[in-house]
Amino acid sequence: MTTYDERAGLGELSATADRIRRSVETVIEGKPEVVRLSLTVLLAEGHLLIEDVPGVGKTMLAKALARSVDCSVRRIQFTPDLLPSDITGVSVYDQQRQEFEFKPGAVFAQIVIGDEINRASPKTQSALLESMEEQQVTVDGHTYELPAPFMVVATQNPVEMEGTYPLPEAQRDRFMARVSMGYPSPEAELRMLDVHGGPSPLDDLQPVAHAHEIVKLTEAVRAVHVAEPVRRYAVDLVAATRQHPELRLGASPRATLHLLRAAKAAAALAGREFALPDDVQSLAVAVLAHRLLPSAQAQLNRRTAEQVVLDILQRTPVPDPFGQQPPGARRV
Amino acid sequence: MSGQARLAVCSVVATLAAACALLPLVDRPGWIVQAALLLSIQTAVGALARRVPLRRWLTVALQALAALLLLTLVFAQQQAVGGLLPGPDVFREFGQLLQEGADDVGRYAIPAPTTQSLRLLLVGGVLAVGLAVDALAVTFRSAAPAGLPLLALYSIGAGLGRGGGHWLWFLAAAAGYLLLLLAEGRDRLTRWGRVLGGGRPGDAGRPPAAVRTGRRIGAVALGIALAVPAALPSIDEGLLQAHGAGDGPGGDGGTISAVNPLVSLQNSLNQPENREVLRYRTSSDNTQDLYLRIVALDWFDGSSWRASERRVTDVPDPLPTPAGLSPAVRTDPVNTSVAAAGTYGQTYLPMPYPAERVLVGGQWRYEPEGRALVGDHGQSTRGLRYQVSSLLVEPTAAQLATAPAPPEQLLRAYTRVPASLPGVVAQTARTVTAGAANAYQQAVKLQDWFSANGGFRYDTQVQTGGGSNAIVRFLEEKQGFCVHFAFSMAAMARTLGIPARVAVGFTPGTPQPDGSVSVGSKDAHAWPELYFEGAGWTRFEPTPTRGSQPEYSLGRAPTTDGPGAPAPLPSHAGAPSAAPSAGDACPPQERRLGACRAQVLGADADGGGGGPLPLTTAVVVAAALAALVLPVVPPLWRRRVRARRLRRGTLAAWREMTDSAWDYGIPPDESRTPRNTAARIVRTAGLDAAAAEAAVRLATAVEQTLYAPDPRPVGDPAADAERVRAGLHATAPRSVRLRAALAPRSAARLRWGLAARLATVPARLRRAPSGALGAPPAVAGGGTARPAPTGPQVDAPPHGSGAQPRVPRLRVRRGCSRSSPRP
Repeated sequence: MTTYDERAGLGELSATADRIRRSVETVIEGKPEVVRLSLTVLLAEGHLLIEDVPGVGKTMLAKALARSVDCSVRRIQFTPDLLPSDITGVSVYDQQRQEFEFKPGAVFAQIVIGDEINRASPKTQSALLESMEEQQVTVDGHTYELPAPFMVVATQNPVEMEGTYPLPEAQRDRFMARVSMGYPSPEAELRMLDVHGGPSPLDDLQPVAHAHEIVKLTEAVRAVHVAEPVRRYAVDLVAATRQHPELRLGASPRATLHLLRAAKAAAALAGREFALPDDVQSLAVAVLAHRLLPSAQAQLNRRTAEQVVLDILQRTPVPDPFGQQPPGARRV
Repeated sequence: MSGQARLAVCSVVATLAAACALLPLVDRPGWIVQAALLLSIQTAVGALARRVPLRRWLTVALQALAALLLLTLVFAQQQAVGGLLPGPDVFREFGQLLQEGADDVGRYAIPAPTTQSLRLLLVGGVLAVGLAVDALAVTFRSAAPAGLPLLALYSIGAGLGRGGGHWLWFLAAAAGYLLLLLAEGRDRLTRWGRVLGGGRPGDAGRPPAAVRTGRRIGAVALGIALAVPAALPSIDEGLLQAHGAGDGPGGDGGTISAVNPLVSLQNSLNQPENREVLRYRTSSDNTQDLYLRIVALDWFDGSSWRASERRVTDVPDPLPTPAGLSPAVRTDPVNTSVAAAGTYGQTYLPMPYPAERVLVGGQWRYEPEGRALVGDHGQSTRGLRYQVSSLLVEPTAAQLATAPAPPEQLLRAYTRVPASLPGVVAQTARTVTAGAANAYQQAVKLQDWFSANGGFRYDTQVQTGGGSNAIVRFLEEKQGFCVHFAFSMAAMARTLGIPARVAVGFTPGTPQPDGSVSVGSKDAHAWPELYFEGAGWTRFEPTPTRGSQPEYSLGRAPTTDGPGAPAPLPSHAGAPSAAPSAGDACPPQERRLGACRAQVLGADADGGGGGPLPLTTAVVVAAALAALVLPVVPPLWRRRVRARRLRRGTLAAWREMTDSAWDYGIPPDESRTPRNTAARIVRTAGLDAAAAEAAVRLATAVEQTLYAPDPRPVGDPAADAERVRAGLHATAPRSVRLRAALAPRSAARLRWGLAARLATVPARLRRAPSGALGAPPAVAGGGTARPAPTGPQVDAPPHGSGAQPRVPRLRVRRGCSRSSPRP
């Protein structure tokens, strides 16, 4: 049951999210959907993978998002020679004190920007696994908690690009959503030339929300109500990916979880205290597509995972409110 | 099999199926095997030519050439150049055969003997139609117009077959055509790619959904085509529209075509065995005169006699007084109970003349002019039992001799002879009747001339010739059977100004030891009826050795110029049937003494007339009711459902709105969310602002109801649903409105509901194995279509919570409008 306080929280959430959105949009022109999705992932406590060709503003988006929130930000430039210890940290022997001292790696921050993540070897990429899922790092038997909120915003080039390694499935599965920037429209590009001609607009960016505010907002998101039909719909969609003949690998249960959490955040961003199937639908491609592996036949047919997800969306019925009366539903 | 090959095979099958309607036209069905063989070769030639490939018209020409060669080989090999190639002689032979065939068609009644010329007509016709069908359906790839030649083929059979043909032939022809359409549809579908809908593990061996649907539609259409005409009332059916004889299985040779009795009578008489067709018991002691009349032929075209087309009415009870019968003439009432054999299917009721009252079950109608009972809706005498009360009219010779002139109208109608009648007929009549003082004496002289002193011989083997010379030939050759005698005497009577017609029926038959009288197929007979005012239509018997001449026609009356009265002929003496008739067993003298007491009517326990109302009547009534009721069910159901839904809250109102949209042509799409659905309806229908607002409001209410933790009321759902419906109505074109009112599309839910309910019955009975339950929704093989739930729908819903069966869903517009095109 939603309480008055939580509803008030939703108003606050809307206001804060709006501030962040406007702040990011001063840097990223003409991509409201991408910005909105980034915010959704932030509020849903997920990690964001930004994939596109070089030069469309992936890193800019990541940095703008990080700068807009007043929290610790670390940036890791993934290179082929990057080592896992560079990310997680390393225990160094302190000769004066004659004991091992832990030097935290780059992951110890509230927003971690992983630039060009697929240029590091899979071994190094995997160093992120534990931190992303469990929000902790274990080095030499010691477990170190990471601060909240914790968000990894990674950018990567498409796999076909030279010098890239594909992300391991486990790694991809830990990203809540993947967005593609896409090229800006000619008008947006023109405006960009004006804005970016001088000093970098990133430099002018001031934090508009504090980290503890974000934590509070995520709590409000968690309180968003998801009715049984919506949950069922999410399960249906994910289940359909596992049986789709054009997919070699379907989505995991974690994907279901991510889908619902993202849907909650989207609902909260829309000022609703309950999620709709529409929220699930609008996020399905972003949340599911990067986890799916198309079959060889589908690849031959040049079918992308995005197309398959769209196909599934068109084929999966929204839980019928008539055939079965949902247990929780009451007649008005 | 490739699509084209399948089409070609289907075109052959369709042609042969339609050709089946021609089967009853001739007595031997062997020709169809020949036709099938030749047609297959012709189609194979076409298939090869298409494979080359040749130009289309060249293919057709090649096939026509092949057909010509085949026909030459079969029908005119002797005349062919080198025994194969058609030369001028072949075409001459064909022309001759066709001419003969045309003559035979006019000459023979159905079934005609399978002469070489008729065989050529049949086989050649089937080949021609087969060529047209093959050319249209396969070569030019449009199967629908191929129905025209098929229809022509079927119509010939049905038209000539008197009475529209048997329903079985229609079924065969229609099914053949549907098969052709189905094959073409399938071929067209496969050209888009793989036929969808298969691929599920359980579907192995099942045809694709499209094909199944096509078959279902075809079966339903056929069923309606058969059932609806049966349910339609047919009023004022002309006599000739009545079903011809011998319909249905059995096809015994003992049936008589009342319409053209010339040949079938002869066939009956030439049957090697005398099959019993009727058995009766009568209260009359004078069975000698108890001719069982079927129909009167009153239309004389110069060569043969036919029954005029006349109006029929319901059977009155009692029947009207016979025309021209005056009370002065002595009449004896006669009761007769008749049982017809199960193999005797005649659409006219054989009755003694004139009948006064008939007790008979089934659908019979009354033809007042000929006083005949005609079966309606295929009613026949097959296995029928009935009772007839009739009069034995016994005018004296004096009464007939002094009969006043008949009414003018009757005289005009029944003395009409065509101008084409050779003058020699009238001349012969005048010669034969020279010296007769009145019509009666003329009639007696004619009868005597034919039966005794004219030198005529009874011979059933005589070839029945056609044309206007038939009577002349008969008068010259003086050989023939009852038909010739009856036709000629009636024609001659007409030339003398005596109203005359020909009656067709049976002679009295053979008395049996148990007192009943058996009438066999060889008792089939035709005789002239002459009209005398006061006595009405009066039977004469010109056929020598057949039947019996009535007392009054023996010329024993005290007349001034009495002819040399011939001795009464013993009936049947020397007749091919050689069956002793009633006359032999019980001469009139004895009968007069009462020594030959006939069995009292009804002595036979089974001798009751009129069976129970046939099952067909019940079926027809039920079908008629269904035809009336079924079309109004969907709109009524829809109205009731709407009223109920509008009372039942948000979700029901929402469903009402989506179904209203469906009625107005926007099918439901279950992959859409409520607000998406509302947006689609607003956009597709182009709703006005108020209706659009109502739709969105209703969607919001549904969201609140379904998804909100604490739903709050949004607007008035019922009013909103009504508003949207009004908006849909306002924007829809007239045809769509009409459809929504009369045949709402959403009534499909009614069918689904029934189907789902039916489907659960066997499942419940079988205690379905767990494998069938709780199965997740399978995604179709190839990923191209979600399997539409079909057949017994016992799958639990994919969401797995509900226990009730899921109604088969409509997957509308899937894969056509929204899916991306596939390579």
